[in-house]
Amino acid sequence: MEPSDHPEVFQGEPSGGHNTRRMQSALPTLPPPRSLPSALKPMQSSFKKVYCMEEASPSPFPGLVAGVLEMRVKEGSKIRNLMGFAMARMQGEHRDSEGGLRQVVFAGSGRAVTKTITCAEIMKRRVGGLHQLTKLRYKCVQEVWESGEGSAPQTTVHRNVPAISILLSKDPLDPREPGYQPPGDLGVFWRAPAEGVEHESPQLATGKRPLSPLMQPSQTDSKRLYSGVRVTCTQALTY
Amino acid sequence: MSESCGAVSLSQSQSLPGVAGGSAMDMDPVEFTLRKRLPRKLPRRRNDVYVNMKTDFRAQLARCQKLLDSAGPGPREICIHGLGLAISRAINIALQLQACSQGALQLAANTSTVELVDDLEPEDPDEGETLTRTRNNSAIHIKVFYPQ
Repeated sequence: MEPSDHPEVFQGEPSGGHNTRRMQSALPTLPPPRSLPSALKPMQSSFKKVYCMEEASPSPFPGLVAGVLEMRVKEGSKIRNLMGFAMARMQGEHRDSEGGLRQVVFAGSGRAVTKTITCAEIMKRRVGGLHQLTKLRYKCVQEVWESGEGSAPQTTVHRNVPAISILLSKDPLDPREPGYQPPGDLGVFWRAPAEGVEHESPQLATGKRPLSPLMQPSQTDSKRLYSGVRVTCTQALTY
Repeated sequence: MSESCGAVSLSQSQSLPGVAGGSAMDMDPVEFTLRKRLPRKLPRRRNDVYVNMKTDFRAQLARCQKLLDSAGPGPREICIHGLGLAISRAINIALQLQACSQGALQLAANTSTVELVDDLEPEDPDEGETLTRTRNNSAIHIKVFYPQ
C-alpha cells in the first residue's frame, strides 16, 4: 500500500474516501478542485494535504528474520480487513496443527496507533499463547501541502509522529527486553494491583451520578470496589 | 472529592450526555441518553500518570517530568497510562521524556484491553429501563525508567 493512499483534507475529518482523486506532487499547479466536499467551510479550504510520505526507518526489531508479515495499519484501514488477512496467515490456510506463520508485526503511526493496538489485542485474544514485544518511537513523516487557490507553491512539512510496532510471536521472546509481555498477560496493570494501590469507585469519581445505578450480576467486581471507597477518599486528597 | 486532582482522569472518564441514535433495533421507540461510566479499577500509586485529552499537553508533560525528577524512595520510574484516543498522547509524552533525557531513560510499553460500561438511560423515565452495554477499548501502559 502506498502512503499516498489516504489524501486528507486540512482540518477535515479522517479521510473516508471523500477525495479519491490521487494527486501527485510532480504535477504542475493544479486548478482549484472542481468539487469541494460539501463539509468544507471556506476558511478550512485554504490548505490541503496532497501527499504524505513516511520516511523509511529501520525495523524496531533488529533480530527478526526477514520476510516477517508486517501489517501496516493506517488511519483508514478497516480492522476486519486487517484481521481477516492476518488471522488467515497466522492460522494457516487449512488450520493444520503446524500451519501458519510464527510471527506477525503490527505497525502504525499517528492516529492509527489506537487501531494498531486494537488489532494486536484482538489477535492475542483469538490466537492465544502469543508473546508480545512493543516498541515505541517517533516516525518522520513528510507532508506536502498545497494552497486551495492553486496559485501558491507547495510546501513540504516534516513532522515527527508517535509510532508503535507490536511483534506477536508464537515462539518465546527475550523477557528482559523492555516492552515484553508474556502470553496470557491480559491486563495485569488493571487487574492485579500491587501493594499500596488504591481503587477508585466510578460513581465516586464522577460526583454526578446517584449511587447504585443498576447493578447486574456480572458487575460483582465493581460492587467489590465500594469497600475500597473510604480508603480512596482520604488518600486521594493527599495526592 | 477524590477528583480534586482532575488531571489524572482518563480520557473516557467524563459522563458526556449524548443522544443515542435510533439505528439499533432495540433502541428504536424510546430515546436514550448514552452515559459513559468511568473505566473501573484504576491502580493509582504515586508514580502513576493517567493521560487524558482534556488537559494541556505541556502540563501533563511537565507533571511527568517533575515526578521523574523528584527523588523518591524507590527506583525512579513512572507509569504512564493512556486509554483510547489518549494512547497516542501517552506515547508522545513518553517519547518526549526520553528525548529530553538524552537517551538516559528507557521505555517499556505494554498494551491491554479495558472493558468499559455504558448506561443507556431513557429520556422519559416511565418508558423502559436503563440498559447497560459493555464494549472494549485498547489501552497502553508505558513504564518510563532509568535503567540500573
